Amino acid sequence: MKYLGKTILLAAMAWGATAHAVFAPGEKVIVLNSGDGSISIVDPVTRKEEKRVPVGKEPHHLMATPDNKELIVANAASNDLVFLDPKTGDILRRVADISDPYQIGYSPDRKWFVSASNRLDRVDIYHGATLKLARRLPTGKVPSHIAFSADSKLAFVTLQESSEFIAIDLEKQEIAWKMATGKQPAGIWMTPDDRHLLIGITGESHLEIYDWRARKLVKRILTGLGAHNFVAKGDGRHVFLSNRMANTISLVDQQTLEVKETFPVPGGPDCMEITKDGRQLWTTSRWIRMVTVVDLETKKVLHQIPVGKSPHGLYFQSHAPRR
Amino acid sequence: MDALVALWAQAQAALFESVVQPAVFHLGLVSWLEAAFDATEIFMIGAAEIVVLAAVLGALEKWRPVEVWADRRPVRVDIAYTLLVRLGVLPLAIFFLLLPVVDGLDGWLRMHDFIPPKLEDAFPALFDHPVASFLAYLVVIDFVLYWVHRAQHAFGWWWALHALHHSQREMTFWTDDRNHLLDMVITDLVLAVAALLVGVAPGQFVAIVAVTRAVESLSHANVRLAFGRVGERLLVSPRFHRVHHAIGLGHEGARQGCNFAVLFPVWDHLFGTANPVREFPATGIRDQLHGRDYGEGFWRQQWLGLKRLAGRA
Repeated sequence: MKYLGKTILLAAMAWGATAHAVFAPGEKVIVLNSGDGSISIVDPVTRKEEKRVPVGKEPHHLMATPDNKELIVANAASNDLVFLDPKTGDILRRVADISDPYQIGYSPDRKWFVSASNRLDRVDIYHGATLKLARRLPTGKVPSHIAFSADSKLAFVTLQESSEFIAIDLEKQEIAWKMATGKQPAGIWMTPDDRHLLIGITGESHLEIYDWRARKLVKRILTGLGAHNFVAKGDGRHVFLSNRMANTISLVDQQTLEVKETFPVPGGPDCMEITKDGRQLWTTSRWIRMVTVVDLETKKVLHQIPVGKSPHGLYFQSHAPRR
Repeated sequence: MDALVALWAQAQAALFESVVQPAVFHLGLVSWLEAAFDATEIFMIGAAEIVVLAAVLGALEKWRPVEVWADRRPVRVDIAYTLLVRLGVLPLAIFFLLLPVVDGLDGWLRMHDFIPPKLEDAFPALFDHPVASFLAYLVVIDFVLYWVHRAQHAFGWWWALHALHHSQREMTFWTDDRNHLLDMVITDLVLAVAALLVGVAPGQFVAIVAVTRAVESLSHANVRLAFGRVGERLLVSPRFHRVHHAIGLGHEGARQGCNFAVLFPVWDHLFGTANPVREFPATGIRDQLHGRDYGEGFWRQQWLGLKRLAGRA
């Protein structure tokens, strides 16, 4: 018993030391509680929610600005964007009249800011520098996630209810082409070599891989029920995929296009972040109002941190590279 | 409190993951997962609400009943209405019916460069104060409900449907949800458009509905209860609302009735429809005294409502 106590203490110290080492002093984890319109500010060292701050209606996704100086929260039902300090989560400013922003993304050249209007079946294209509307494009049903070609010529958007994805020509600002997918495609991910698009097929149990230049389905890989969203491991080779209904996360090798492993994570894992040392995976557990922290060496759940209702997007500054 | 919230979240997750999510998946409705998750909570809120109302309002009705009936059979159908509404069966059907209409309108507005405003645009302080924001929206929605209610009594065709609600002569806390299905659809459509135009968030809307329903259940209760000189002006009481249901008062006079407010009687005082009678009169519609039939069972009541609408009953 005495031995066990020491082991726990050592493990706890090791965890604390790791957390200190990975996260910058004063850095916070920012979690969007889509169900109660707030952000949870979580201390990554104490693993406690420090405060919960109202941010707007239905905040689902967030991303850093291209210069990494601000964090953009998309409030779908408030029709606005809120800019936060990416380190502390402090609210800096609000930009109104952004219609139903659900998923958002900047083209790699920063010229365009694209917003998928999940509820109203539109994709809106704004000028990246000014956030002024350039074009509102009607699409198929339930536009969801966004990816870009490296040359910024195309934006790819999954359409969940139409079971297809579209390629939007950003110069002409029109839909260039579309392709059918499995049922309810959600997360869409461009491989670092700009060759393949990976799509999580949420209505089924697999990942689909497309050669987008040839407009051809290359492969289907079984991952888990409700294959949904991606985040890079940060080594330029692997990407994690959350399987929301299976309550698992899969690690996919982007070179061999194979699943390397799949491990359990409870509560409907959704959006993810990887620490810059590659040792921890943080994910929102949507159905249980928690953020779950997983040790990527042992694949064990280290912590579950209570946050607000229906937590969706999460972010911390000391994340792994996005490729 | 945190433990209670955690327990509630666990129960919702368990119900969702074991029953709702597999059903949604097998029906091929995965895009509706979040909505189904919210619906799971609405079902739980409804179930909890029914248990609490039955315990608290049931006790109140036993404590100081306005009327005591030997035959309580007419109350049974109101219980069925309550279960269908509060457990989400009818609201779910209406949601799927109205969603394309409301989202279609919303989408059309945006394609014409109109993004619906929200109260926070006019009062930015509401962004940082969710409780104040909730109260502001509650007042606005209650104001809309007051005018919907006025319209239900003012337009003959709408009264043909709404009369079903007023035809209960053994009014209890179960009576609140006794409504014609078409009446519910029209009311919900008006409310959904109003919510869209003032920027009520879906989560806020659920909370507004929960608060409104709780007060409505109380205001229909068969209990000799008033809130006193000041309280009667602040919140609709069982006495205040009973006068609205009273034979000879509730649907008569120049304004086709009185005491239309749902939550806040201030609207009746502002617009001259408050009736200060300090009594607990018998409920129903005058023509029931002359033999008009509004039906006893659910389907008969619905059918007769449609016939009245067509001018054939």
